[in-house]
Amino acid sequence: MTKRTLTSALLSTALLFAAAPAPAEFKPTKPIEVIVHTGPGGGGDVLARFIAQAVEKEKLAPVRMQVNNKPGGGGLTAMNYVVEKKGDAHAIAIFTGVWVTNPLTQAEAKVTVKDMTPVVRLVLEPAVIVVKADAPYKTLRDFIDAAKKTPGQLKQSGGSITSRDNVIRQLMMKNTGANWAFISFPGGGERIAALLGGHVNMMVIEPQEAGEHIRAKNMRVLAQVADKRLPAFADVPTMKEAGVDIPNVPQVRGVVAPPGIPQDAVAYYEDLFLRLSKTATWRKYLEDQQFEDGYLRSAELSQFFDQYANRMRDILKEAGAKIVR
Amino acid sequence: MDVASGLIQGFSVALAPGNLMWCFVGCFLGTVVGIMPGLGPAATIAMLLPLTFKMDPTSAIIMLAGIYYGAKYGGSTTSILLNVPGESASVVTCLDGYQMARKGRAGAALGIAAIASFVAGTVGVIALMLISPPLAKVALSFSSPEYFALMALGLAMVVLLAGRSLVKALMAMLVGLWIASIGTDLFTAVSRFTFGQSELLDGVDFVIVAIGVFAVGEVLGNMEQREAAQVLPVPKGLRNLLPTLEELKACRFAFLNGSVVGFLIGVLPGAGSTIASFISYGLEKAVSKHPEKFGTGVPEGVAAPEGANNSETGGALVPMLTLGIPGSSTTAILLAALILWGLKPGPLMIQDNPALFWGLVASMYVGNVMLLVLNIPLIPLFAQILRLPVELLYPLIFGISIVGVYSVSGSLFDVWMLAAFGLLGYVMRRLDYPSAPLILGLVLGDSMERALRQSLMMSQGELGILVSRPVSAIMLGLTVLILLLPLFRKANAWRVRALEENG
Amino acid sequence: MKSGANGDVVSGGVLTGLGVFVVIEASRWDYLAPDGPGPGFFPLWYGIALIALSLALMIGALKRRAAASETRADWREVGRALVAWAAFALSVALLKLLGFLLSFALLTLFIVSVMYRRPLGFGLAASVGSAAAFYLIFPLALNVALPVGVFGF
Repeated sequence: MTKRTLTSALLSTALLFAAAPAPAEFKPTKPIEVIVHTGPGGGGDVLARFIAQAVEKEKLAPVRMQVNNKPGGGGLTAMNYVVEKKGDAHAIAIFTGVWVTNPLTQAEAKVTVKDMTPVVRLVLEPAVIVVKADAPYKTLRDFIDAAKKTPGQLKQSGGSITSRDNVIRQLMMKNTGANWAFISFPGGGERIAALLGGHVNMMVIEPQEAGEHIRAKNMRVLAQVADKRLPAFADVPTMKEAGVDIPNVPQVRGVVAPPGIPQDAVAYYEDLFLRLSKTATWRKYLEDQQFEDGYLRSAELSQFFDQYANRMRDILKEAGAKIVR
Repeated sequence: MDVASGLIQGFSVALAPGNLMWCFVGCFLGTVVGIMPGLGPAATIAMLLPLTFKMDPTSAIIMLAGIYYGAKYGGSTTSILLNVPGESASVVTCLDGYQMARKGRAGAALGIAAIASFVAGTVGVIALMLISPPLAKVALSFSSPEYFALMALGLAMVVLLAGRSLVKALMAMLVGLWIASIGTDLFTAVSRFTFGQSELLDGVDFVIVAIGVFAVGEVLGNMEQREAAQVLPVPKGLRNLLPTLEELKACRFAFLNGSVVGFLIGVLPGAGSTIASFISYGLEKAVSKHPEKFGTGVPEGVAAPEGANNSETGGALVPMLTLGIPGSSTTAILLAALILWGLKPGPLMIQDNPALFWGLVASMYVGNVMLLVLNIPLIPLFAQILRLPVELLYPLIFGISIVGVYSVSGSLFDVWMLAAFGLLGYVMRRLDYPSAPLILGLVLGDSMERALRQSLMMSQGELGILVSRPVSAIMLGLTVLILLLPLFRKANAWRVRALEENG
Repeated sequence: MKSGANGDVVSGGVLTGLGVFVVIEASRWDYLAPDGPGPGFFPLWYGIALIALSLALMIGALKRRAAASETRADWREVGRALVAWAAFALSVALLKLLGFLLSFALLTLFIVSVMYRRPLGFGLAASVGSAAAFYLIFPLALNVALPVGVFGF
């Protein structure tokens, strides 16, 4: 053997050894558990079930996905459960904005999203501002002006004071100097009934919930809370266009995983959801639900969590909630 | 489309062999789910949703609706036989139903429950069919002041449910109010009475308290005596297993009462079958010629609440189908299902999908008949459970209680709370505190406080809003009258005694 | 007459204590929030009502106790019920370790053979039989999960 061949042989053997102990690519080997913090039928649950079904239909994963409902504790039960599953790469969870905001006001929270592994952000849910169809407000400006004339007398129906409805209200009030009351109702049905019955003047609602009422001419849309106009509401101004320049506050949903899982497992899921987001099934789902695609990978999601938490902390403090962390 | 042609179209859809089968499947599943304490129709419907994607939406909604109202039929079974409420609305059925079972009239109680459910369920469907749109508009005019007045009326029922000691009944109710306020306050996000436990942030689930206080508490009470292993008497012969004609006659008003009250309360989003059954029961007791017998096992005490919680189903479908507004967690899932199938629930849905609406309505008639036919023959079968010697029956009740509570949330913390409430139930029995007011306070406390605060927010602090609106003023007036009833009775007794002494 | 004046005095006292606790907690929260009644509003009022009624009960019971001699409660009976409750609570505590089927079987065995003094063979048959029935109905037929212990079932 010539010296050269020996050298190249040694070199290639060395390279072989260098390449061999590369980490094994993660592939799920048993059903993946998808944890949600609501009971069956709740927001996170519907999304999780759709994902499980879509992944199976599009054959994106070699195993099934199984939804595990862990309701209770205002979402904290599910969060605790996720953290308890430390190191388990076959468990993921669907998070919503509530996972970030609840620990800010609840002293009982023992964990936060920072204790988990961020995976991907999936969707953003925009919102629309609606009034009853026979209300005297034709534009958002009309409503704001009326509110300024009668401070504290106009009313908005919505969820708890930490909910997105109130966050938008706080931002609007601060931006315009107007002031109106916020009345909490625990269920979407009651909020809509309050508006349609004329007991409150305005509400912030998901476009897909409002769709039919708008079509039946019971509700009028004043503006949409989104960066750009949704296809279904092409002739409705965005908040900025309507003259109220507040940061877009979408309802977010995405995936997190227990702490301590290997990096390639995270990469696997990032890739899985990227492939899912490109399928026609997913796109149709987004269109039907009127969601915006908000895909972000793990690193950007982590940053997003920080930004979101900081922003929410300030807003909620102004709204009068007691901040504990 | 007018009612007659709608119905004809509806029946042609509902009686198609495929849909008949789906209706049966739904009703059967619903009955099973209703019998199992804890497991509710909402969870079952959610679990079956993926299966429905391949079905025709009309068939699918027929089946899911069957689960919904079928569960109401099944819920009375364990309430009557074991004092374990099968679902939240069946708590009231425990009061007289279980007492009837103890007297050997278990079969009759089950039969009356089934018949009342059938009558009220059918009335509910008829009302749904005939008066939905105008009723929906009226329902919209109901707002927080009216809800507050309604809850106050419900709480005033405590006076009617009091039994011997009014003071103890009121104290039980106040404890119920306290338990209801455990959790995160909706308006301010402040945690109340959570003792630092995150599991309590959503409050204490009503099912845990009901099963603990009623079922576990009752068993503990019965275990005081070893030798009194008297089996609950099960009369032999089919005749004794079904209600007698007198019993049915006594329930005449109860059937009507349950149907109307249940339906009307069901129409209101946010007011559910538990409130409906309490108010119906209270109303029945108020107009009865022998109110003191309620709680000892009178058939009307079973017929009224059972009817109410069935016709409530029809009522709850009114806002859902005519306006697209869900009134309860089950209707919320049904709504989500409709959306997932590509339908658009809302004010225009009936117009756009007449076949679906009328097919559903017609199938509900069929379903109610099926359920009656399903349930009646099961009565002798179920009644045999009571033949088990108590040493076997009681552990079984313990086991069912644990499983029932665990199936709601999968949390061991909840099972611990079951044990705690079981002890509470026993202590209350021992010390003669009635448990129905506790449950009433728990169910209504939350809603009532919310309604009051919402009302005051709407009126910016003016209490007058509660009496300036006609409906709430009337209901509050009734509440005051009911609260003053014991004083009237006492005053009357004095008067009578004074007359006797003088005359 | 199940409840004696003694019971009323004790329960009245306990509930007065609860009422006081509620009022103290309620005073820590806002009575009136900017928009309407705050979280402390309702609890304050029902706490006060609870104190008032419990005191009334207690005082009434004390008067009765002073007036007539009390029939003693049958503590043996209460003891049996409390033992039964302790067994139940213990089986709940064991759920995490042993899982439902085992804990339930043990509870059934205890109730049948110890509390009701049936022969051991009968007790074993009953406990195994009932546990099996639960297994058949819930996880198998209805797909309802039962608590599992360290043994995996």
